[in-house]
Formats: sequence, structure tokens, C-alpha cells
Amino acid sequence: MSFKTKLVIIFSLLLCSKISFSQQTEDPVIEYIIESVAANQTEDYDYSELIDRLNFYKRNKINLNKTSKEQLQELVFLNPLQIDALFEHISLNGSLVNTLEFQSISGYDLETIKNLLYFADINTPTGFENFSFNKLFKDGKNDLLIRYSRYLEQQKGFSSASNTSSNRYLGTPERVFTRYRFSYSNNIQFSLNLEKDAGEKYWNNNNGQTGPDFSSASLYIKDLRKIKKLVIGDYSLQYGQGLALWSGLSFGKGADIFSVVKPNLGLKPYTSINEFSFFRGIATQINLGKLDFTPFFSYNKIDAGLALNPLTNLEEISSLQQSGLHRTLNELKNRRRISQMVFGGNLQYNYRKLSIGLTGYHSNYSQDFAPGKSLYNQFDFTGNSLNNVGLNYSYTLNNTYFFGEFAHSLNSGVAYINGLLTSLSPIVSAVLFHRNYQKDYYSFYNQGIGEGSTAVNEKGFFAGLQIKPDRKFELDFYSDLFKFPYLKFRVDAPSTGYDIFSQFSYTPNKTTRLTLRYQFQNKQQNDDTPTFVNTLSFVKKSNYRADLSYQINKSFSLRNRIEMVQYHEENKANRYGFLAYQDIIYSPLSSKWSGNTRLALFDTDGFDTRIYAYENDVLYGFSIPGFQNRGIRYYLNARYNLKRGIDIWFRYSLTQYNNQQTVGSGLDEIDGNLRSEAKLQLRFQF
Amino acid sequence: MRKLYLLISIILFASFLKAQDNNGARITALGNASVALQDVWSVKNNQAGIAGLKKPIVAAGYENRFSVKELSTQAAVFSIPIKDYAVGAAFNSYGVSDYREIKTGLTLAKSFGPKLFLAIGINYHQLKISNYGNAKAFSVDVGLQYMAFPKLWLGSHISNPNQTKYGENTDQIIPAHIQFGANYIFSEQLLITTEFEKILDAQADFKAGVEYKLIKFVALRGGISVNPFKQFAGFGVNYQKVNIDFAVASHPVLGYSPQVALGYEF
Repeated sequence: MSFKTKLVIIFSLLLCSKISFSQQTEDPVIEYIIESVAANQTEDYDYSELIDRLNFYKRNKINLNKTSKEQLQELVFLNPLQIDALFEHISLNGSLVNTLEFQSISGYDLETIKNLLYFADINTPTGFENFSFNKLFKDGKNDLLIRYSRYLEQQKGFSSASNTSSNRYLGTPERVFTRYRFSYSNNIQFSLNLEKDAGEKYWNNNNGQTGPDFSSASLYIKDLRKIKKLVIGDYSLQYGQGLALWSGLSFGKGADIFSVVKPNLGLKPYTSINEFSFFRGIATQINLGKLDFTPFFSYNKIDAGLALNPLTNLEEISSLQQSGLHRTLNELKNRRRISQMVFGGNLQYNYRKLSIGLTGYHSNYSQDFAPGKSLYNQFDFTGNSLNNVGLNYSYTLNNTYFFGEFAHSLNSGVAYINGLLTSLSPIVSAVLFHRNYQKDYYSFYNQGIGEGSTAVNEKGFFAGLQIKPDRKFELDFYSDLFKFPYLKFRVDAPSTGYDIFSQFSYTPNKTTRLTLRYQFQNKQQNDDTPTFVNTLSFVKKSNYRADLSYQINKSFSLRNRIEMVQYHEENKANRYGFLAYQDIIYSPLSSKWSGNTRLALFDTDGFDTRIYAYENDVLYGFSIPGFQNRGIRYYLNARYNLKRGIDIWFRYSLTQYNNQQTVGSGLDEIDGNLRSEAKLQLRFQF
Repeated sequence: MRKLYLLISIILFASFLKAQDNNGARITALGNASVALQDVWSVKNNQAGIAGLKKPIVAAGYENRFSVKELSTQAAVFSIPIKDYAVGAAFNSYGVSDYREIKTGLTLAKSFGPKLFLAIGINYHQLKISNYGNAKAFSVDVGLQYMAFPKLWLGSHISNPNQTKYGENTDQIIPAHIQFGANYIFSEQLLITTEFEKILDAQADFKAGVEYKLIKFVALRGGISVNPFKQFAGFGVNYQKVNIDFAVASHPVLGYSPQVALGYEF
């Protein structure tokens, strides 16, 4: 069946059945928050944890009179000055009595207040008052979700033609995800995630491994007398500016210039399905007045490739594998191949507007890390144990929030960052920070902000400005200069570059928003003209985006985007990329159906000019695919509320490439020019 | 050795595109986005700005480009209001004794009410290279500033529109350029200024700067220019009649250029 006939059938089906399409997160508030922090992230990042967190607070609202700085920071859209202003208001005027009070707190515009009250309130009950086990099971909320998805075309790894078992996927082509949550007020949460990716087996039973491919569980208890938090199972730790210890979700430079200031969230249960970068064990945060002490211990097995060192005849770690894919014999061999033990603690001192944190931990691996073979990774970590210490601070003085962190890996390098966030006038705010990360600074849990994804081998200075004259207009702007003092992959000399970003948005009313964005990046990389010695050349990339969303009636909204990329390498012709899409969103006030659909055209000159676009998905699903080459992308999401507490989601998506005989590469390759995916999700809330 | 290369390349390329003007530490710290500003140093940027000054001011500045002694500039400016008019003068000297560029300017500015300023300036350029000789030239500048809304100033400036040169035998050009931009005064404490500049036969540039008064007499400043990418920062202290400004410009490859200026208001 050709693509066209399929499309015709789909459209006619749509028309006949009068199906319509919904906001996937079914929540414009959450969607907008995520898009503003996710602007510069790559496609494989898993934001389900953030969606999860925001949805949780939507159902279990934060009590603003009893909340903590940490908890408010979890609502990524509040900046530190706003958080401090709220606590200052409460300490001066007593508990909040009416939500109208927010309008008198500095830094809170109507949109922020609206967003905050979406996730918080001034008098929600706290769970451990009158606690009993009867109540726990009576008032506790259960949430079970099962998601099934697969590509409809056969990938090479599953075909019978490639029957040598070393070169095929051993499992089945579907991806299955099961998610269970139990929550009792804001105080007790249990979460369980089970997942298998496409090509993985449901149940592993070779190499002494048994069980589902990925399973993660945690029990989280909050505010039990002196114990502020306790997590048994999988957890993440996020301290300071992410130099010494930060695992799990983190944001880079993005449209929301304040998101570069990391919130010090501390201990959190790990609920994501990223199969890398989390702790497994036990951790607790104990409150001792102005001091908070968080000891933690973790032991886990992680994926790694090993190679034999010919000198010592010992196996050494050649690479840590972060993809979490275990589809072939080889990938299965590396699954949970080495063991990792991490323990340490954090001491946090909070007094009024000052907060100081001290982090120290030890990590130990069952094998040594092999020294880097190339010149650019000469300074990579070797050995099997590492001690890290970090000192972070934040302080608010009048209209300025100062923040910073100093981190050191014992016997090797240091990394530090210092910055400030200030509101220069009620409508103008600025963020500045300077960073210096040495090339031999090591941390396995390092997500410091910068041009690179980890805080190593980089110096830079960032300046951002936000102008928000009223509710309608907003202008965001930043510039970032970065230098890499040592070589990097594909950059055979010390290099430098910069990044300029500007975004204008106009929101004349609640349902209409126009966004214009321009970004320019200039970096150095190896010139690929063959010469005796590699030399560097500048690579310039410009991005232009226009995005318009508006409502046409109470049920239907439309959204358009045009995005263009211009990519310039020295002595080469410019390359261009283009993407345009039309969204139709159906979200009626009272109907069992809701849904949304998109038709996108993309036309790019290959990988360097690929364009990322956020896509709506089933609830808790998340994707920002990157489009390259030429073709059409279509998707349809639908949600049906069967009865109270039972929801069904369906998603169909399709990418058709022009002038291509195959889609994908390696074992993922599909014959033909089409790749389509179907997804079905069920949720029970009881 | 590195410095020598730097020196040669800057003299050969940078000065080819734009005269090495010292704009004063306040304007430099604002990313040189000065076309809509009113400052005594406007006499070197958009002359119309001096029509907004109420008192005679004299100022002098020194810049050490990329921390190379030979690449320093010295500049002095002066302006005096006379009824609706203002008269200004500027002097700029760049280089070493073997290579020197001197620019001297005279300005007449007039305010047509509190909202509109116009100005015309004449510059005398001298270029001296030992063993090669001297060259001289004149150029003309015209500038305009207009307050479109309360607190919002727009500015426009054209430099050397008739493209005069040093002469037939000299490759060195006096660049023709056009600038326009806006300056918005958010409050007593805060202003943001922007400027677009196109130099004929060279790339276009966009600049922006922020000035924030920490307390009444201490101002912090920052700015950027996009093409070439540079970051700027500085501060100024205005104590009674004396003004001291400091600025530093950072170029990703060439490094830092510190600058200081001293002013006195009569």
C-alpha cells in the first residue's frame, strides 16, 4: 500500500469517526513549561520524570504555607528570586491567607501566579497528621500505566535473513513499559517502572541474568518527624550547580534564561526510565535545625564494554554504555557487567537567605578504567576509585541572587562556577555566570552547565537578559562565550566559540502566542579537507524559528511553526534545513475524546542541518526527534476517557522519506522509504 | 613572538576595516552601542548626543588594546552647550611613533526642542608611517537623535558618506558607515541601549549594552557586539563633578582590552 493511499485512508477514517485529537500532556501549562526548559536538549533525553513530577503536584498540590525551598525549586518555572520573595513575604506577614496576596509579592506576574497555583495551594492537608494504616490504603492513590509501541515495518535485526545469532536482535520488536505509582498525600510514594526496548527480551535468562530488562523501584517517605526524606531503592541526588554530584534530569542553556541556575533539589526518588545515571540503595535527609544531613549508599551493576590490557592481563573498562539497549548478544554481554559502589553525604546549612552545602562521596568500580588511546582523551579518568568534594552556596541580597560551586576530584583537577541572577527593574532581569572546568576534573555525576554536557575542559562566560514589560510581551536574550583549553573529539587543538540566542514572544490573550526565535552558534572543529595535519575551521550555524498558536473555538486550536537552519563551514557552500508543520489540537471542555495531529514537512541537507521539534505524545511519553533529509512526518494522538479512572491513549506516527531506499542504519534498517509506529497506552487510577 | 604576529595582523587587518577609535570607557562597556546615548563621548560616536548635555564637560581616556602596549589609543573630548546649540571637539591618537593615526574632530549640534537633536561634524585625519611619509584627509559625520516616546531615544548616524580617502597612493581607507539604534531608559537605575552598524565593504554588526546604577553614583555596565563577537563590562563612579569610568572588552581569540576614562563637569 502506498503512502498516499494510507494517508487517504487515515484521513477518511478520521472524518468518518469524528475522532479528534488532544493535547498530549493534555496540559498546555505543563507542555509550555517543558518546551521552555527543553529548548536546547537533544532528542534522547527523557523528560518523563519532569512530566511525572508536574503531574504529581497537579494532583497533590503543594501547601505553600508548609513548603520548602527545595520543593518549590522542583517546579522548574520559579526562579530563585521569586522563591526567596515568597518566603520573605511569609516571614514578614505570616501564613498566606488568600491567593490574591501573590500580586503584592515582588517578581510574581500573573502568568507565574497562574502557573504556581496550578501546582500549589495555600491550605492543602499534610499527610502525617492523623496518620493510620487504614487511612493509608483508603486515601492512597494508585496509578497503573501500561504502554505498548512498535514499528510497523520490519527492521533488519528482526528479519530471518540475518539469522546468525550474533548479528540479530534476540528479543521481540515491541517496546513495553509498565509504570505503577502509589501515593499517599505528599508524604509516601512508591514507584515501580518496568521496561523493555524494541529488540530486547521480556525476560532475560542467560549469562546468569534473570528478570525483566530494566526494572526500577523506589519507596519515598517525606516529612516524618526529623526525617525530611527517605528513599529506599532507586534515587537521584542533585546538589549545587551540578559540578560535583548531580544525577538525573538537568537543563542546559535554553529559552528560559533562568533555567541555567540549577535548583539544589537534593535527594529525590528516581522515577525515570533512563537506564543510566541513578543510584540504587538507601538515602535519607535528616533535619537538624538549620542543618540538613543527607547520607547515602548505593550499589549497582552497570553496563560497560571491557577490553583486555595486554600488559597486566586484566580486564579494563573501555567505555560505559549509557543507551540502556540490550538487543544483541554483544549488548547483552555488556549488560550490568561491572559493579559500582558509591557512598557519601551532603551537609546543607540554611539560614535565612544564605545556604551553603558541602558534598563528599566516594565511588568505586570493580574494574579499572582504561587510559584513553587518543590524544584528546589523554586526561580521561583512569583507575577504579574516585573521591569527590564540592562546596556550593547561594545568597540573596536585595534584588540579587548569588550562586556558585567549587568542586574538586581528589588528586586531580578542580571545577568552579560563580554567577548571579538579578532583577534590575520590575521588568528587566539578568543572569550572569562565569565557569572554569579543568581538563582533569573528574566526576561520574557531573552535569555542570556549559557548552559541553559535562563540566570538564571548558571556560566560559554567560550573560542573559529578560525584558518583560507586561503580560503580552517578552524578550529573552543571551550570549555565551566558551573556550576549550584542551582537545576534544573531532577538535585537534584548543578551541573557542560563542552562542547567541534571542527570542521574542507576544501573547495578546490566553490562547494566542507568537514566538520568534533566532540563534547563532560559531564553533571550531577539524577541517575535513585532507591535509597532513588537521587544522581547525569555524563552523557557523544559524537557526530561525517562527511559531504561532491560536484557538479557533472552544474545542479547536491550531499551531504552526516554520524553522530554518543555515550551516556554514569555511570554504564550503552553505547548507540549509527547513521544517514547517501544522498542528490541530482538539481539547473540548467536556468530551470523552481529545487528541491532536500534526503534519510536518522537512527538507534538510543532511545531519548537520537537522532540526529538532518537540512532539506531542501519549501521557508521560516524550519526544524531540531530529529531522534530516527530505520527507513528511505525520502523527495522530487520541485519548479516550473510558470511565472515571480509566484512560486509553493511542498514537500513530509515520515518517516518509523522499528518494530513499532504506530508513535507518545497521540492524535498525528498514527496506523502503517509510517508518511508522503505533502506540497504545492504558492508565488505571484507583 | 605571539605579540608580534598579533600586532602585525591587527595593524594589517583590523585597522584596515575601522579606524582605531577610543569611544570612552562608558560607551565601550556598553558594547559601543552609543548611537542613541547622550554623553560627552557622543562627540566621537553620534555627535547629536551632546545637544542633550546641560553643562560643559571635558574627558580623556586611554585604551590598551589586547594588552599590547603598541596598540594603545589616547583620546580626549570636550563639549559645551550654548543656548540651543552645543559645540564639541574630539581628539584620538592610535599607534606607535613608527605608525600613527590621528583624528581630530569638531562638532556643531543643535536641539530642536527637547525631543530632537541634530549635529554635523568635521574630522581631520592624519596617518604617519615612518619611511613612507604622511597622508591627510577630511571627513564629515552627520547625526540625529529623536525621543519617540518618553524614555525611548532613537538615534541615527552616518560617517564619511562621500567616502573620502587619504589619497591616490594610500590603500588605507576611512570607512563609511551607518549606525542606528535605540536607547530605552527603564528607570533612574536602568537603561538598555542597542545599535546596528554597517561599515561599507565590511560586515554588519549588532551591539547591545546595559547600564545599571547600583547606587546613585556607581554604575555597572555590560555589553556585547555580535560580529565580531565581543563581550564588554565596566563600571563608572560619578562623584560630584568627577567621573571615572573603567571598561574591559573581551575578544574570544585576541583577549582583553582594558580602558579607563576620566571626566570633569564644570
